[in-house]
Amino acid sequence: MADNLQDDPYAVDVEQRIMDIQAEMQKRGLDVYLGSRIRTMSFIVDTFVPWRTYIVIPAEGMPTLFTFVIDAARILSETWMDEDHVRAYFGAGGADQIDAIQYFIDEELGIKKGRLGYETGMATYSAEGWLTHYEYEQFSAALPGLEFVNSHDIVDGVSLIKDKGTINRFREAGRIVDEGQKAARKAIENGGWKGMTETELGGIAALAMRRAGSVSEWNFAGLNEISSGWRTGLGACTPPTTKEFAAGEALMFDLHAMFKLALGDHSHNYLLAPATERQRWHADNFVACVQFVADSYRAGATPGDLITELGRFSEDRGCSDFILPGVEHGIGLFGDEWRVGASMDVPIPYWTDPEHVYQENEMVILAMQYAAQEDDVGFRYENPIVIRKEDCELTSKYPLAIEEIG
Amino acid sequence: MADFTYLSPEWVEEARKRLTERLTPEKMNRITSSMTNIYKNCPDGKERYMYVAIENGNIATFEVGEGEPPKAEFKIIADYETFAKISRAELGAVRALTSRKLTLRGNMAKALRLAPTVDKLNKVLASIPADY
Repeated sequence: MADNLQDDPYAVDVEQRIMDIQAEMQKRGLDVYLGSRIRTMSFIVDTFVPWRTYIVIPAEGMPTLFTFVIDAARILSETWMDEDHVRAYFGAGGADQIDAIQYFIDEELGIKKGRLGYETGMATYSAEGWLTHYEYEQFSAALPGLEFVNSHDIVDGVSLIKDKGTINRFREAGRIVDEGQKAARKAIENGGWKGMTETELGGIAALAMRRAGSVSEWNFAGLNEISSGWRTGLGACTPPTTKEFAAGEALMFDLHAMFKLALGDHSHNYLLAPATERQRWHADNFVACVQFVADSYRAGATPGDLITELGRFSEDRGCSDFILPGVEHGIGLFGDEWRVGASMDVPIPYWTDPEHVYQENEMVILAMQYAAQEDDVGFRYENPIVIRKEDCELTSKYPLAIEEIG
Repeated sequence: MADFTYLSPEWVEEARKRLTERLTPEKMNRITSSMTNIYKNCPDGKERYMYVAIENGNIATFEVGEGEPPKAEFKIIADYETFAKISRAELGAVRALTSRKLTLRGNMAKALRLAPTVDKLNKVLASIPADY
């Protein structure tokens, strides 16, 4: 592992992650941890785990994974974990999720009494992977000697500060997304946009990113989110449609790439000529606001500071009505897309704590949306950033601008 | 009247003989594993186990007994009658598993990988003419 860490810029020390989790389990008196979220799998298994999967982490020693039987061999071929710790469940006597894990905890780990940490909560992200109510009832009935304690903030906490390998993965994902943006621009320039649909553009960008090393347009809200014209003014998530681009419209290309579970996510915007003065005014406002926020991120800043300062800035420019609330969302390895910070002691549970203090090597997505529905125009900016002592690093290097393109 | 009574000492002796003769390490893909079948509700009302240990493709241990079975990588639990039906080819093992007539304990992913090899062993055992 040590050699690997030195030679491979993308290497991560999963053993250390497990030890960090176990140290926190010990502090909380947990005998075993039952993870079920995608982000927990990504963080520990260090490979793509898309099917319903559980990971059992004892207080000491190796974790053991239980995944849907059809994908177990593939995961085993990719993960650092060995055969004894990559297991499967299946709809068979003793082998379904509940039976297999109950037997493992009860008989193989020998934990019949104590405290079990599990993952429950809420999110804006449907596919989070919290333990369902049914699963909770079944597991707690099958393991009657164990007290179930919600403990997902353990994983959230130890995954908050990104290690060097993870940051390098995000840098590479950013580079890949930029290849997608270059291909998208090339496709629309010189009238190439004529007759082109949002879905087609999404595919062109996807192909370019795949060729550059991406394995997935991972985003749950529409893969590559593309919108044009009046749809850009709606502000919300935008799975691309078969709408054709048209002259005089705004375009928003929010592209997603995945590299070793790190998530590239960059939105870039255009105006298709001829742009009106009003559109240009909106575009200039948006670019200025994004630049203002990008310049404001640093260790020690808080989301509350940033939103307040942006409010003043946009107020001065007369565009505050068009800025949707919020300047970021959380980001981590695949499945970790929304939550900022790790604390459970926040004013509104599962929402960003305005007093959260950013630390060096924490990552968020600088995210801003601008929606002027009455003018049929809107923009989005997203870029995973690494918080540094005095500033932040943008992982996508694609220039911030809104060009008018013919 | 068959030659052997299922799970009797004579049946076990015959099973050892046939397994050794018919299953070479190559045929068994040189696997190393172990499994215990737990037979509940045997005709005499007792519970028995059948334990098989395979080392590098060789049948290292094959025994039937009562009481606590040796520790094995896999444990398969069912009524005697279910095992008997499977041996007589009246019930498929997969159907028995998916209808919860059989309970499997152990690493399911590994069990599936080993299943075709272990099936060769079951076929040899099923070839022994037996009264159930």
